[in-house]
Amino acid sequence: MRTVPLEMTVNGVSRQCDIEPNVVLADVLRDGFGLRGCKVACDQAVCGACTVLIDGRPVAACSTFAFATRGRSVETIEGLASDHVLHAVQTSFLENYGFQCGFCTSGMILSIVALLRTHSTPDETLIRDWLGGNICRCTGYAQIVEAVQLAAATMRGHP
Amino acid sequence: MGDLLSGSQADPSCRENLAKVTGASVYTFDIELPRMLHGKLLRSPLPHAVIRRIDATAALAMPGVVCIVTGEDARGLRDPFYGVGLRDQPVIALDRARYVGDVVAGVVAIDEATAFRAAQAIVVDYEPLQPLMTIDEALAPDAPALFDGKTPGIPIPVGAGCSSVADPANNVLYEFNFGYGDAAACLDASDQIFTDTFEVSRINHFHLEPHVNVAHWVGGRLEMWSCNQDPFLIRADIARIFGIPLHGVRIHTPLIGGGFGGKSYCKMEPLVALMARKAGAPVRLALSMDESLLTLVKHPGRLTLTTGVDREGRLTARRADILLDGGAYSDASALVAVKTAFRIGGGYRWQAIASHARVVRTTTVPSGSFRGFGGTQAAFAGERQIDMIARRLGEDPLDFRNRNMLDVGEPFAPGDRGMDSDLHAGLQDIADRIGHGAQKPGHGIGFAVGVKDAGGTGNHAQALVRVTQDGEVMVSAAVVDVGQSAASALCRIAVEALGLPLSSASYAPIDTDHSPPDNGTHVSCGTLVTGRAIEQAAMEARAQIETFAAERLGCDRSEIVLDGWTVRHNNVTHPLAPMVRAYYGGVGWEFIGRGSFKEPYDPTAPMGARNISWMPCWSAAEVSVDEDTGRIALHKLVVGADPGRALDADVCRGQIEGAAIQALGQALFEELRYQGSDPENASPLTYRVPRAGDLPQVFESFVAEHRLGIGPGGLKGIGEAGMLGIAAAIANAVEAATGASLTALPFTPERVLAALDARPERIQSRTD
Repeated sequence: MRTVPLEMTVNGVSRQCDIEPNVVLADVLRDGFGLRGCKVACDQAVCGACTVLIDGRPVAACSTFAFATRGRSVETIEGLASDHVLHAVQTSFLENYGFQCGFCTSGMILSIVALLRTHSTPDETLIRDWLGGNICRCTGYAQIVEAVQLAAATMRGHP
Repeated sequence: MGDLLSGSQADPSCRENLAKVTGASVYTFDIELPRMLHGKLLRSPLPHAVIRRIDATAALAMPGVVCIVTGEDARGLRDPFYGVGLRDQPVIALDRARYVGDVVAGVVAIDEATAFRAAQAIVVDYEPLQPLMTIDEALAPDAPALFDGKTPGIPIPVGAGCSSVADPANNVLYEFNFGYGDAAACLDASDQIFTDTFEVSRINHFHLEPHVNVAHWVGGRLEMWSCNQDPFLIRADIARIFGIPLHGVRIHTPLIGGGFGGKSYCKMEPLVALMARKAGAPVRLALSMDESLLTLVKHPGRLTLTTGVDREGRLTARRADILLDGGAYSDASALVAVKTAFRIGGGYRWQAIASHARVVRTTTVPSGSFRGFGGTQAAFAGERQIDMIARRLGEDPLDFRNRNMLDVGEPFAPGDRGMDSDLHAGLQDIADRIGHGAQKPGHGIGFAVGVKDAGGTGNHAQALVRVTQDGEVMVSAAVVDVGQSAASALCRIAVEALGLPLSSASYAPIDTDHSPPDNGTHVSCGTLVTGRAIEQAAMEARAQIETFAAERLGCDRSEIVLDGWTVRHNNVTHPLAPMVRAYYGGVGWEFIGRGSFKEPYDPTAPMGARNISWMPCWSAAEVSVDEDTGRIALHKLVVGADPGRALDADVCRGQIEGAAIQALGQALFEELRYQGSDPENASPLTYRVPRAGDLPQVFESFVAEHRLGIGPGGLKGIGEAGMLGIAAAIANAVEAATGASLTALPFTPERVLAALDARPERIQSRTD
């Protein structure tokens, strides 16, 4: 199959590669760039495990053509901590035990990061609503909801 | 805490958790080997058919395709069947497909897309046979036999008062009877007898990491990375199937992305090994979630309970007739039947029990283990009926339960261990938390106390604890981390015995060449059964350290006090690291302690060994019902369980809540359905599991530490508990709110409306 060139920003770094036009973003991230924190579970944009941020908005990498990210900025779980300092959502997940098996965690954290960038004081209804795009089969969600509330408070305290 | 390099991340739970929140964790899904090829499977579109011919010519001719595996390849294996006790499932369909989704061919190719396209190019000539989609169809007098001849393997061995029989009738895989006392006489002598029938539904585990295995043969020896939670069972199955020694198989078990029973016991592991052997290269087979939905489900079934009560409102006897739909193949069906029947009495005192369970074969997805192993089926029927009886007697459901519930130390059944939780205290706790007696008008409150055994039947585990000259601890066992924080819990047990900080401990990766064996990560046994083995291993390592120090200091071991990584003798502190180096040299030495635990078999116990612990789940629900739409509003859900002693309260909370929300899904909407002979919703898009928006308005959980378990410090398992009481509590609350009696899962609006219409006063008003 013919390939097409792809230029995009991944975790703040400008990247270039040649891709087949039918390749999805999850495969480029995992196999092309070794970013295996992006987990593919349902492969149908239902469960949210593969969620990454494109220009700050959460999308399902399993069902997004890689070429559609041309010229855009992609953030994955690997890029969230900076200079060895965890993002507030990662810290709140650790402190609140917001995960068990961890397979949904990358996507869950990125969805929440997107939520908190646009809503600094989400109420519980909004949090539950926003998390509707991410399935966690392990935790029963309550510890995740609390982690979001803690992260929101932390981020408000440290703008 | 925020700094990746800070010391607070140094303990084992922090290390593994840090990897999870940074995307660094490695699952089997992420394993990649040099020259690795990829597999895809072709599955039967028909529920029941003879496979006349498979034409793979076109598929094999496609560029990038390496080989095709079919039943022809499996026929050459030493023993191409697997299953728990009863082994009827072929590694790949031999000559007949028995459900929609049965594996008919496997393709190995250079990448997944090529393998997928090639699988679609395989032409299979089927001769359709009559499907048997339900228990009733399979038991019909003229139903065709799903299998020819006797089922290979042996039925589960059982103990006192039990019988265990394979192939008792056409399309009946297995029959189990458990009882004590004279149930017929007790029921005859009862003041009142109640008979009710309950139906439980088919649900899927929906673990997010799909079933995935990577297999690689080197010099006739198999090396495999597997998401299976039973590495030593898989080693044994593959050795038997391929006719090779146990040490000819090496299984690595990385972190597992969720299991809940769906990744226990043999599944497609032998097939991946077969594909890799034929391809002559490493092969990775990752199922899609659609395929996982067609791999294993929880047993649907029908339970009819006849329960007697005497004049004083005391339970007398219970008779149970349990029919479980085992699906197309045995898997763990016999064991689930045993456990369902055994657990049917719940946490109550009986004069007699007569429990009869059968597993019926149908042309549907195989049923097997699912968090609670028959316990949830038994608890739904049992706790629903207890409430219905209390209501019919005009009694408060709490008073009725309290009068009949087992006290601490009372045996669950003759010959078994005594109750190791205070069931009454837990019931009082949920009553207080839900606000019993103070609910709003129109709301109803329901309770349930699910109880099951835990820790397994005669389970065993071995463990190693290694301590370096610098006081670092490596804990080695075969408990697999499926998200329950096993590594951290087991490390904690070891360092407590050694008196060393948790930050000094690591949990060794699981590898059957090096890890000490166990029965598999099942039945909430890890912290208790393996924990006992680890505690013993740590104490042995400690004795070696003290003996070494005593020899070096020229004193008796009894004069030595181990204090962190120093020893004290005559009030003088001696650091251990230089002492070890001085004797063994710079590379140093490891003190290696071995431990083991085995619950002995006991033919006088019903299960053939005394159960290791008891697992209660106290549940309470507050609901209201929209009588126009049949929709249940769950205002509050309270769930509590007893880990004996909580090694980590947050982890225990997560186990209880996660199980409870899985049970909530099964109670309210979750179900794998068939439309005729086709799966109706076997895809992640159409199979609905609970999301954050499905949480009850108020969701409260509690960890009750009754400290009566036989594990270190009184601990016992907790992983399955939260699943047990939820569905019954919700149905009991619906009846309290509306008078409508729900007896079948899930409680869809249609079922709720039907139950509202079936209320006696509604029927009365229609006939007036």
